[in-house]
Amino acid sequence: MSRADSQDNPPTLSIFADYFDGVSARVQRVAVSLAGDQTAALEIGPPEGEAFEWPLDRLRALPDQAHKSSLTLGRSDDPLARLVITDPAAIAMLRRRCSTLSARAPVTGLGRLIGWGAGAVASVALIIGVLIPLMANQLAQLLPPEGEKALGDATFEQVRQALGQQGAAALRVCDGPKGAAALKLMQARLTDGLDLPYPLTVRVLQGEPVNAFALPGGYIVFFDGLFAAANSPDEVAAVMAHELGHVVARDPTRIALRSAGSIGVLGLLFGDFAGGGIALLLAERLVQANYTQAAEAAADRFAYDRLRGAGLRPDALAALFKTLKAQNPGAEAGGIVSHFSSHPALGDRIAAAEAASAGLSAARQPALTKAQWRALKGICRE
Amino acid sequence: MISLSDLDTEYAGRKAPLFRLVLGASVLTVLTLGFYRFWMKTRLRRYYWSAIRPGGLSLEYVGRGSEKLLGFLIAVVFLAFYIGIVNLILVFFSFSVLDGPGAAYAMSFVGIIPLVFFARYRARRYILARTRWRGIRMGLEPGAWGYSWRAMMHWTLAILTLGVLWPRATFWLEKYRTDRTWFGDLRLTQGGRWTMLYRPFRHFLVPWIVSLAVVAAALAGGDLRLLLLLVLTVPWTIFGIFHYLVQSFRILAEAKTADGVEFKAAPRTGRIIGIYALGLTLAYSSTTALVAVAGVLLFALFNLSGLPHDLLTEMFSRVTVAGWLMAAASIVAYFAIFIAYGAFYQIFVTMPVIGHYAETLTIGGRARLNKVRQRRRDEFAEADGFAEALDLGAAI
Repeated sequence: MSRADSQDNPPTLSIFADYFDGVSARVQRVAVSLAGDQTAALEIGPPEGEAFEWPLDRLRALPDQAHKSSLTLGRSDDPLARLVITDPAAIAMLRRRCSTLSARAPVTGLGRLIGWGAGAVASVALIIGVLIPLMANQLAQLLPPEGEKALGDATFEQVRQALGQQGAAALRVCDGPKGAAALKLMQARLTDGLDLPYPLTVRVLQGEPVNAFALPGGYIVFFDGLFAAANSPDEVAAVMAHELGHVVARDPTRIALRSAGSIGVLGLLFGDFAGGGIALLLAERLVQANYTQAAEAAADRFAYDRLRGAGLRPDALAALFKTLKAQNPGAEAGGIVSHFSSHPALGDRIAAAEAASAGLSAARQPALTKAQWRALKGICRE
Repeated sequence: MISLSDLDTEYAGRKAPLFRLVLGASVLTVLTLGFYRFWMKTRLRRYYWSAIRPGGLSLEYVGRGSEKLLGFLIAVVFLAFYIGIVNLILVFFSFSVLDGPGAAYAMSFVGIIPLVFFARYRARRYILARTRWRGIRMGLEPGAWGYSWRAMMHWTLAILTLGVLWPRATFWLEKYRTDRTWFGDLRLTQGGRWTMLYRPFRHFLVPWIVSLAVVAAALAGGDLRLLLLLVLTVPWTIFGIFHYLVQSFRILAEAKTADGVEFKAAPRTGRIIGIYALGLTLAYSSTTALVAVAGVLLFALFNLSGLPHDLLTEMFSRVTVAGWLMAAASIVAYFAIFIAYGAFYQIFVTMPVIGHYAETLTIGGRARLNKVRQRRRDEFAEADGFAEALDLGAAI
């Protein structure tokens, strides 16, 4: 009863198909042929009523269809009517003759899309860039010490987890007793007479980065890579004093609150298609802790005072910077993830640290004895 | 009654084309930083809808990716405030009052639940408004807030009664949705009573109550050997959940009417459990096999020496060609695992599950269906993007 002939030239077509007019749910069994005079349109003859034409260049096949043995056609200028053809030869012929069959419908409302896109970007930028930092700064001042400590505990665990090998265990906390004792000694010397709202918690993580960072609630965290790279215990003490400056100024608390707000917004934006990739990114940022220039300078000044008060030379900090610079010439270009060396004003800070030591005598008691320094370097191997 | 004029449902879903579709769309999603996901979802729906063929006539999904993106952008403008500011305040209060993050997560979660129900209803309205069969639009009347507060009440009651009133929530919420559902100018009605769901619910309720009682007795200082009963009751409870979900669908479907149009559904619990068990096994093992192959290839490519022990540190600290190649290959591998698992899950779990529900569905009332007239288009373009922003309906 149905027949399609694709061999003859010009092609002929005479089949039956299912037609839906988009007005009623009734299936109409229609006769389909190529319009008599031309072959540029399908002539569709319903069981009752007059025949009508569908121009071939307006035919559109529905995309991504599962049912392979039928072809569902619509019209580019009619969103509702559908013609379902099941005759294989007719389907083949139409696919061959209608180049516009798989043409896409034009995107409508592009202006609205762009407008809301700009709105979304502006909204996110405003929230992450202005509102959240502003609130985080205020709230950091209001957070009671116990809360800050709890926030620090949680953040420390997150950082350990995130920086550990992917899927494997968290980074190891090194607690060799002799090294820990040496660290305690250094800490006591630097915090002498300092009134902190919470006890200082100094931790060492096993890892290569020449890095140290502060977390909320009095956490100061070293990677043992820093001990390996430092030339003297005084340099480690200088770093500790600097981080102590961040702790006293509550800088890490601000950063942690800020990322608590930002993490959800970023997750919203990217739909977490990477399965937690965003969390990793933020943990990384937390460690890098891009404090403002002012915060860094304030922490440095705090460190100089502390170091001088403890009978140590502030230029130890400069010495460490120089070592880092010598080891990694590209450091200032951002080639290394290190809180210290990635800072843009590294040269200035070296100069400032040296200036702060001007007039101090060189013969002072080192931060640790040789034995203690050896113990600290080996804190992860005890 | 099954009669000759009833419309059986064919299912045209096939693994190979679907796999290609998911794979291609997932790669595009990653390459576009996630933004292609709106089009991916659209294409998947088009495929699944067209695979379902009641009476040999495919459903059609006419939603568009661009309208989902629009909805998402609108949602971002408003939700970014909510999520950013509210999360920050919650974290602050949780740490300042309760010394821990738990309360913040809990409050953040509870705070978002009404929005989740709201978004679900709207997403359903959008989906139905974009679904056609025989050229006729389906539709859902507005009523998302009404749904949201009802859902909150019903689920609170169900939780307070330790799950005993779960069927009541299922029934009334399904009735709320069904009674607002249209096919063209034909309105659906959910008949029956909530108590009819207790027949399949027994298989959950009995082992669940026994489990609770056993644990309570053990905690109260009773004989610890009682806990051995859990070996029996816990798997039974899990079976009961599946059984309830599958059979409540069947009972509710068969109690729906629309002016003489009726439904017969016959999904089998065993079949659904089988699909999940086999499908998840296949999806995991296929992904694992792929990871193993990729791992061997990567290993061969970088031949021991280049393998870093800490990828991220390595990535930034060694600006060498080998280092960057390694990092790039690892990132590709990382995404490939997600993509592969997603594609395997679609073909081994989602597709057969939908297929089983489709193939066991019969629609009666052919004559009445022929009289159905078209309904007006429900614009409502932004609804689905809102649900997407809340990360609902992750699959399709």
